[in-house]
Amino acid sequence: MSQNHSLDCYYNVNASSEAVIEATSQAAPLDIESLFRIQFVRIARIVARVVRDPARAEELAVEAFVKLWRNPQVDTARAEAWLYRTAVRLGLDDLRRQVRRARYEALIGSVRGAPTPEEIHSANEEQDRVRKILSILDPRQAELLLLRSHDLSYTEVAAALDLNPASLGTLLARAQQSFRKEYIKRYGKK
Amino acid sequence: MEKNNEVNVAQWVDQRLAILTPRNAWQPDGADGLQRFREQSAAKSSWKQAWTWPAATLVAAALILFFLAAPPPRVLAQRCVDCSVALWQSFSAMPPAQPDLQPESARKLAPDFALTDVSGNPIKLSDSKGKVILLNFWATWCGGCQTEIPWFIEFQNKYKDAGLNVIGVSLDDDGWKSVTPYVKEKNVNYCIVIGTRAVAKQYAVEAMPATWLIDRQGKIAATHVGMVTKSAYEAEIETLLGRNATKP
Repeated sequence: MSQNHSLDCYYNVNASSEAVIEATSQAAPLDIESLFRIQFVRIARIVARVVRDPARAEELAVEAFVKLWRNPQVDTARAEAWLYRTAVRLGLDDLRRQVRRARYEALIGSVRGAPTPEEIHSANEEQDRVRKILSILDPRQAELLLLRSHDLSYTEVAAALDLNPASLGTLLARAQQSFRKEYIKRYGKK
Repeated sequence: MEKNNEVNVAQWVDQRLAILTPRNAWQPDGADGLQRFREQSAAKSSWKQAWTWPAATLVAAALILFFLAAPPPRVLAQRCVDCSVALWQSFSAMPPAQPDLQPESARKLAPDFALTDVSGNPIKLSDSKGKVILLNFWATWCGGCQTEIPWFIEFQNKYKDAGLNVIGVSLDDDGWKSVTPYVKEKNVNYCIVIGTRAVAKQYAVEAMPATWLIDRQGKIAATHVGMVTKSAYEAEIETLLGRNATKP
């Protein structure tokens, strides 16, 4: 019973931007544990879009919070945006590392161990293609596409990436064009 | 028309990115995550607390000792010069590196390949037959390769007329995108091509830098995986070019 109650505080959170700002801006200095309870699920889900393994996504989400804890210069109002940006960057860095490692292993023909059950379960060709394109794209464009496609508002995306909200539409359109161009170049129009 | 096109592209991209949405059944384990966060932050904070003061004290003590006990700057400078001279003398007294080449009878034919250079010109290994070839597999992110590349530039300058041909095969994932700016920045004066999986396999490249010295008959005279000293390369090249009396 007590365990269910403790989990409810993660699952039933309304993690809208306003709620978080309201909850966190009253606390000074930054109360990371409160922020963690409110934001962890959302942050982990963002990372899980990029990283195939959910356990790894959780690890990276925790890492984003540890980085926030180690960076006292981030103020309460900007903490949420900072977390989004850091989480997406950690995810993309991890994805690029995976792609590079896979490429190098294939290149030198080294024998890789059998895939884990989790890898087999989550193996999906289309997901792999999309992730591969994200790993190739300009990092800023990949971050923009990922945050925007995770139902973050223009204001939230602009705050997370330190961009002018007025120019976000143009940048997003460019990122989408680049994504489509790269995708078609590699996999055709189908 | 253009607006419609933009909308279509946005929809097309959104559809693809939607595939990445994690399964609804998956819920990140917040309780476990919070536990890990507490452990990691506690570990880092205790490490910080444990090391900050001892480290600061140690540095301060070292600085005080240095300023109190060190000889005046002129004597210190003189000692530095003496040490440098002694080091230089000990190195110059060392015997020159010996070439480590395979005997001619044991050499095998180097596998041929055809790759393209930055201008799209086909480069075949067999085109350089009759010359000594230094074939280097490298990548822009490989630390050892970055140390060796200035040597190869020097070798190309020094031994080109004597019949040396340096070929650099890059194994960078993104090909010319990384290689072109790097080559421009370093002013690489020898032939650079982008390698393929097949070529890397032919030469069994398992680590980088990896370098093959190929004699005038197109046979492999030496294989070096990892870094080798500049003087060792030079001794082998000179032997293969016939400038050195030492023969394997």
